[in-house]
Amino acid sequence: MFTLPLDILLIFTAISPVIGWVTPKYNRSKIGGVFSAIALSVSGIALYSLYKEVSVKGAIYVTGNSLIAGYLKVDMLSIFMVSIFLGLGLAATIYSMEYVENSSRSPIYYTLILSMISGMVGIVFSGDLFTLYVFWELMSISSYALVAFFREKWESVEASLKYLIIGVAGSATALFGISLLYGLAGTLSFEGLATAFTGTANIWLYIAAIFIFVGFGVKAAIVPLHTWLPDAHSSAPSTISALLSGIVIGTGVFVIARTFFSAFASIQEQWFPVIAILSLLTMFLGNITALLQTDLKRMLAYSSIAQVGYMLVGIAVGTQTGLTGTFLQFFNHALMKGSAFLCAGAIIHQLSVRELKDMVGVGRRMPITAVVFSISLFALIGLPPFNGFISELTLVTSTFQANMAWLGVALILNAALSAAYYLQIIRVIMQKPTLESVQKAKETPLLMLIPICALAVFIVAFGIWPDPIVSFAQHAAGTLVPGGLL
Amino acid sequence: MIDLTGYLVFSMGLYAIGLYCLATKRNMLRLVLGIELLINAANINFISFAAFAMPGFVDPLGNAFVCISIGLGGAVSAVALGVIVLAYRHYGTLDVAELRRLKG
Repeated sequence: MFTLPLDILLIFTAISPVIGWVTPKYNRSKIGGVFSAIALSVSGIALYSLYKEVSVKGAIYVTGNSLIAGYLKVDMLSIFMVSIFLGLGLAATIYSMEYVENSSRSPIYYTLILSMISGMVGIVFSGDLFTLYVFWELMSISSYALVAFFREKWESVEASLKYLIIGVAGSATALFGISLLYGLAGTLSFEGLATAFTGTANIWLYIAAIFIFVGFGVKAAIVPLHTWLPDAHSSAPSTISALLSGIVIGTGVFVIARTFFSAFASIQEQWFPVIAILSLLTMFLGNITALLQTDLKRMLAYSSIAQVGYMLVGIAVGTQTGLTGTFLQFFNHALMKGSAFLCAGAIIHQLSVRELKDMVGVGRRMPITAVVFSISLFALIGLPPFNGFISELTLVTSTFQANMAWLGVALILNAALSAAYYLQIIRVIMQKPTLESVQKAKETPLLMLIPICALAVFIVAFGIWPDPIVSFAQHAAGTLVPGGLL
Repeated sequence: MIDLTGYLVFSMGLYAIGLYCLATKRNMLRLVLGIELLINAANINFISFAAFAMPGFVDPLGNAFVCISIGLGGAVSAVALGVIVLAYRHYGTLDVAELRRLKG
């Protein structure tokens, strides 16, 4: 069918509802979680063998002539992205075993998570826009359903409906853009599009670029299109917030990078400044609005918008260093924001409140969670011993190299601005407890602590010893830039 | 026989009507119809480009894409209608303007 890691994920996704229905009700959530964790781990092992093959050959093209097939292109960038998806997905599924109650609906939950992750894996493996669009819809539809998973809460339903309407309108816009590209070039593969448009700058090419940028930019939450994000990310179950915020918005950034560095490479000069301005708007609006929030999850959701702005900085610079910064930031953001959302979820799970003022001093009662939460927040600010610093430094360096110092200065200013609300969260949870509900709070259960602590270990490890991940990101970025170091 | 421009103008018009519907209508079911209009505008583009790719020849890629896209559109509508049913149970109305309890 497709490549081995993707096949494994799709087969496990298809089996998971059956496993869910035949298991006894009282430990359904645990069995489903173990099953999904096995699926993601097996897929990870298959990914490693694929990685060895790709590192020798450069890129693998899979066309396939069976009944179910697609045109896939597996290169270093795809492997880099998939490793993040599987890693954060594994953390989220282990966490879910405790987090999701043993209801009759928990099998659906794991099926949807697996199908969302396989959709994302398919997106980064796809070699043409046709395959990409199909997997894009697989990812999107599962995420709409997951946001509304706690269907007895009005806020989940409202957020899901908002997300669905805006997201589907975005996908349809992207589809319209893809149809224009098809009409212009007669093909949809990335290589075919790149060769078809070299040296031409048709007005229709610009129109198609706008449609595709708007369409995929909706999922990436680039500023004028971000309105769904704070609602959807804060109302979803916390594991889903971690996945949506950590990897789904990054997938949007990936698709924009993939199409704009292949199909629209001939009009690069025109769209670099546009993306630079949008990244500036995105990070300022995200950070300033986050300062005004009182709800913990909404604050983290707005900070995700700001982080998308940082990722766009690398794309706007467009050099290999810039793109290395983008993908490194994406990797680190998945770790940091995944960990932060899971910690916030643990606190909300123990206290059943979401407002920051009701959490005063909760860190004294949940010390491990509080320490890990603080580590991820310090990393999100970009403080030196953690991984966020490395990626932000790479991005700032790339802007200075490309004579776009104003963008780098804006990024530094934003990192300082973001410290204001991250430090406020740490101050609130570390204070002396005053509220009765906080006094009675207990430490997070073990199954939820394991993935959080594992993510924190990675945050510290990649901050102290970033070389392997930086060179991995460099190889990944080299596949997009012509003449890039592979 | 109508040439390609006619079909393109038609699909652009359909897309504009879909956007207008999404922007002005307050009934949730009408929003789903607007989304379907957007997807169908893109589908018509694919079909017409496939038909006019070469004289006397229809490109199968465009038609294959449209078959899959219709299926995906159906799946999206199904999920949308499911969420709308849930919203109706919570709010007792199909008016999207009533769904303003979340701030921002």
